[in-house]
Amino acid sequence: MNPSVTDLKPTSGLASRFFQSIRRNIQTYTLLIAVVIIWTIFYFATGGSYLDPENISNLFRQMSVTSFLSIGMVLVIVTGNIDLSVGKLAGFVSVVCAYLQYYVWYRYFPNQVFLAAALSVICGIAVGLLAGVIQGYIIAYLGLPAFIVTLAGMWLFNGLILLVTQGRTIAAHQAVFSDIAQGYVPPVWGWGIYAIIVLFLIWNMFSNRRGKQKYGFALRPFYMDLLGVILPAVLILAYVFTVNSYKGIPAPVLLLACVAMVMVYVASNTRFGRYAYAIGGNREAARLSGISINGLIFKVFLLMGFLCGVAGVVLASYVGYGTIAAGTGYELDAIAACILGGTSPLGGVGTIPGALIGALIIASLTTGLQMLNVAPAWQYVVKAIILVSAVYADVYFKRNR
Amino acid sequence: MDNDIILDFEHVTKRFPGVVALNDDSFQIRRGEIHGICGENGAGKSTLVKILSGVYPYGTYEGSVTYNGEELKLGQSSIREAVEQGIAIVYQELTLVPTRTVGENVFLGKEPVEHGLINWDKLYADTRDILKKYQLDVDSRAVVNTLGVGKMQMVEIAKALSENAKVLILDEPTSALSKAEVEKLMDILRGLQEHGITCIYISHRLEEFFGITDRVTVMRDGRIITTQPTRDITQADLVKYMVGREMKERFPKGNRKPGEVIFEVEGLEATDPNNSNRKVLDGVSFNVRRGEILGIAGLMGSGRTELVLTLFGEYGKITKGQIRIEGKVVEPKSARQAIDAGLSLVPEDRKRMGLVLIQSILRNISLPNLNQFSKFFRIDANEERQASLQQAKSLTIKASSLDVQALTLSGGNQQKVVISKWLLSKPSVLIMDDPTRGIDVGAKFEIYKLMNELAEKGEAIIMISSEMEEVLGMSDRIMVMCRGHSTTTLPVAEASQERVMALATGLATA
Repeated sequence: MNPSVTDLKPTSGLASRFFQSIRRNIQTYTLLIAVVIIWTIFYFATGGSYLDPENISNLFRQMSVTSFLSIGMVLVIVTGNIDLSVGKLAGFVSVVCAYLQYYVWYRYFPNQVFLAAALSVICGIAVGLLAGVIQGYIIAYLGLPAFIVTLAGMWLFNGLILLVTQGRTIAAHQAVFSDIAQGYVPPVWGWGIYAIIVLFLIWNMFSNRRGKQKYGFALRPFYMDLLGVILPAVLILAYVFTVNSYKGIPAPVLLLACVAMVMVYVASNTRFGRYAYAIGGNREAARLSGISINGLIFKVFLLMGFLCGVAGVVLASYVGYGTIAAGTGYELDAIAACILGGTSPLGGVGTIPGALIGALIIASLTTGLQMLNVAPAWQYVVKAIILVSAVYADVYFKRNR
Repeated sequence: MDNDIILDFEHVTKRFPGVVALNDDSFQIRRGEIHGICGENGAGKSTLVKILSGVYPYGTYEGSVTYNGEELKLGQSSIREAVEQGIAIVYQELTLVPTRTVGENVFLGKEPVEHGLINWDKLYADTRDILKKYQLDVDSRAVVNTLGVGKMQMVEIAKALSENAKVLILDEPTSALSKAEVEKLMDILRGLQEHGITCIYISHRLEEFFGITDRVTVMRDGRIITTQPTRDITQADLVKYMVGREMKERFPKGNRKPGEVIFEVEGLEATDPNNSNRKVLDGVSFNVRRGEILGIAGLMGSGRTELVLTLFGEYGKITKGQIRIEGKVVEPKSARQAIDAGLSLVPEDRKRMGLVLIQSILRNISLPNLNQFSKFFRIDANEERQASLQQAKSLTIKASSLDVQALTLSGGNQQKVVISKWLLSKPSVLIMDDPTRGIDVGAKFEIYKLMNELAEKGEAIIMISSEMEEVLGMSDRIMVMCRGHSTTTLPVAEASQERVMALATGLATA
């Protein structure tokens, strides 16, 4: 006979609890181990230059654009939908920003680079939001399949990119605007930010424990909670130390970290996030639990549009130009990152940290293969094999658990 | 072996964990007859069909079935074996591919092939011949979803007969048919008799047996009660055979004191959400008092589930009538509005409609109640856990923690999670649609006790049930539904199994 529900005391020993916790998060650990393996291989293959501060700095900067997209894509896929338009939408936002930067702002306020950049950001995000509203409305309220609507969206934004650029490349490397994705946080500030993060982690741990104590819930052993602070603290320390010995934390990486933190919070601690997972897990049960399915799916696409806006702004600034090829194929990178990160294509399951590690794996492969001067054709072949094997391994282990 | 007997059941017993679905059953079906089988939901009719169709192959049941003079030994894997031996079945739910033609459906999986290509002319010609032979009035090239339900049924029959069937089993074929369509179906069955085909006709619409069958077998609780020539018995006899059993001490005695009326439904009419011409509710009136359990009885297809989903704002469009909670008129247009108005619904199918199986007990219990724990945007996880834990403990859900996935729990515990989730929303009226379906006897008893406790605390409960005993054992009053309308509400003291069954089958009116 099982015991009745209790959340009071761990019955098993500490060691077995430790392993239980590992088993529960096995997917995240496997992914991290995959990153370590990939990095090790490239480290030796490139004679050490793969893990140079400069390269690490670039690696994370490079993954930032698709990472914004994959954060939104997790929720889209979790609710049982898909968004094929994100790459071209981000690309469209990027050419709009470039167009405004190059052709518009200087006419009205020639020397106000800061104002110009701020307006570009606002306009870029507004374009993303508007696209999200339209696609979300059609999918949620008119009931068309997301696959079709966003496929049409992809074509539409591709057309709009050509219209805006007229086939030309538009410069977007003006001062201030180009700092958005090419700037660095000065090392001293970097250490300041690091200190704030560590203090936050510690405060968060104690406030969690205090909350649980107040309600009389079982506390995890103190060392486990401490480990939950030390582990990320050490990883971030290693990162900050590395990039600081180059030029500092890249601005887009900091932006990505902030957005990711907010979204992780939204996904697990708000009604919006909970409802999204419930809809993906069982639409009927969610509906009978009083959740407005249409309203929620609309909001998910609105959020996706917003993140496309952010990604588009970063893309324009990162590339320094608005080009006709902007954002091509990013939607598939974003989807692949989610799936690699453990998001179920059937909906209901998936985490944002997982998708971010997925994006890191893809970026690590791309950079590494480029450094080894592997021909683009073979880069695709290697990535194809790794994607399919990784997902097969996941399916295999789940089936045999 | 008597050559007149095509199917001979001898001491057939089929056991499931905790349940005996068929209990030492013996009876015979004569060659060429139309043999009716009737019984309540769960009497064992479907189990019998599944033995003949090979769903439960030879060896998974005790006793023997003799078919055409030889023992029926269907293999472990192949349901096709039964078809090949000439046993064809038309199921309750239609199994046609709606977007393909009649001919394609009839020959689905056995298309005439020449040089690797389908010979369409032969397929349609053969279909036409079959339809003609059995006087089925359908066009072989019509696309199935352009046909009415009655014609679809004919296509099902054609499909079943396309492989030289000797025995045709119709498993509750008339649930969705109009009166005229039923009569047409009966004509067809009489026609089949002339072709030497034996029919087994399973139904709970008693009056149909009298127009069509030669003999009727009545089942109850997995036992064959009697087999008699149809002309020798009356509908009243059938009802008596179907329900004639003693009430056992399966229901905990409650000490309920119903108070004032809290929930009223008056003259409710509603239409099918997919077909606004089809009335699913046609005049439903009842009320529920505080601290009372109102049982809703009715056969499958009587509109019970449609009623509760309509009340919950998630099914039909209300065309007439009124719903009042504590005197206030409400018209829920969504589950949210129904919940806010004070209704809770423990739905019929907990896996499909009640739970997000891949999520934890905690997440399931809190799902409809997150408003209670949210401040601005943030969910207070500690509040959420405390309230859910309290609810889970008071219902004694058995699990090692609240973080266990719902899919790992037993049926009874899953149902307790669903009930917990709906009690946490502190409803004025708790609606339970078949709350003990598919859970074992011990867990049933616990659910009954729980319902008693809730009612004793003043909760108004509406319980829908397919089990006659449960309705009689648990309710204070019983509302009987028949074909979309409420016949009457009986105090339990005036209700008997015979009376409720007579009302539910439309044999008697209030």
